[in-house]
Amino acid sequence: MRIGNVDVKVSIIAIAVFVFFAIILLVSSVYSPEIRLQLIWLIPVLFMLLVIPMALNYMSRKEYADMEPQYEAVAKTVRVKLINESMIGKPVRIEGVVERVNFRFLNRPQYIVADRSGSISVKMFTSPNEDVKVNDIVEVLGQVIHRYLVTGDPCVNCISIKKIKKPAKDSKS
Amino acid sequence: MSNDNSRDITVLNPWLEYLVPLLSFGGALVGIFFWITTASVDYRISILGCVLASWVLAYLAWMRPKKDIVALSTPVYSFIFLAVPTDNFSAVVLEVLYAVSLTILLIRLKFRFGAQAVKAPDKKELVDPVKTYVEKIRETGLSLHPGLAHAAAVVFVRFAEGEFFDAARAAKSSIAEQNDAIGPELCLKHAFEIVREQSNLLDQSLPAPETFLTFSADDAPMLAQVPDPKFGKSEEYDTALENALLILFAVAWNVESDRPHLLQCQAFAQRLLGQ
Repeated sequence: MRIGNVDVKVSIIAIAVFVFFAIILLVSSVYSPEIRLQLIWLIPVLFMLLVIPMALNYMSRKEYADMEPQYEAVAKTVRVKLINESMIGKPVRIEGVVERVNFRFLNRPQYIVADRSGSISVKMFTSPNEDVKVNDIVEVLGQVIHRYLVTGDPCVNCISIKKIKKPAKDSKS
Repeated sequence: MSNDNSRDITVLNPWLEYLVPLLSFGGALVGIFFWITTASVDYRISILGCVLASWVLAYLAWMRPKKDIVALSTPVYSFIFLAVPTDNFSAVVLEVLYAVSLTILLIRLKFRFGAQAVKAPDKKELVDPVKTYVEKIRETGLSLHPGLAHAAAVVFVRFAEGEFFDAARAAKSSIAEQNDAIGPELCLKHAFEIVREQSNLLDQSLPAPETFLTFSADDAPMLAQVPDPKFGKSEEYDTALENALLILFAVAWNVESDRPHLLQCQAFAQRLLGQ
């Protein structure tokens, strides 16, 4: 669903929760007259289960979209091997091949992106603009962070991830 | 950084790894014994085996550079397990299942989250292989002006921080001081030149050029990684920078006042050495 310039995506978990409670509400309202009397507020609450995740997704994606030009302007293109703990907080751009994608169903995908120098975890705290899959060649824009906020190895807090077409020699074979 | 707590666990780990199944299945066996003999004791005493096994597993996960959040959170589950009142039969069944789960998590930890991590890049002293490389450079008889070693520290630290413009500028001023360099000093000059060139390119986010600076054949004894003749342009370009940065790190180590800053970047040096 598109709101303004933002393509809002609801995670499969939110949809599953909505469907689950919709079925419960439907079945219980068929058998219980008391529930039927409460439908005037139960139905709006049910829809809130979809509206709230959509609103959150819209806000986070809008925020990320606003930040992208700022990162575009200041991020340096680096090889994965050069990313280290001393670069925490620095905006970076990396290019590489997606080796693994996790948690896509939560709208919080985590990618393992590799270039010829190594691989790094790329975490995104909202849904990406493009559907990025394993073996896609991508350009990642983000900030170097610790894996667990204050500890853990460096990884990239992704602001944007875009598929690019690059000659194979530029990425890990 | 995560590696701060990943001390040398290579000796301790095997014993602790055995403890996880021993404690959890041991506790489960005690529970089964109580159940069979209908002993008049609180069966949850045997759950303590699983609780201890969970803590050992969490410790093993914590000591690894790459953390496993599932293994780390097992003590929480074990306490819930201990706190929730259950009947005797359920407690024994849960114990056995929990012991199996902990063992599976231990196997997962070993194979998915890296066994026996490399020794921690300490922030108090140099560790191998960085230490060995620094000693190798010292043995080359490189005679250094302290100012030049300090400049090497500035360039390395700025580069590690991603301040490529500052690194290039610092390298440029150091190159100007080494006009009459020969032998190992000439290799150091080459290192400054390579870092300067690549820092400038990184600062502008430019790709590797067709022609770029590399070390000469005479510099080979000082290099951490001797370039393979089979290397393509990209690998040659990357290796030149990695060697140059490592030379600067090793040279910079000569100035005691800069060592705390260098130790902060030791993990980066270790990464450059392929660890």
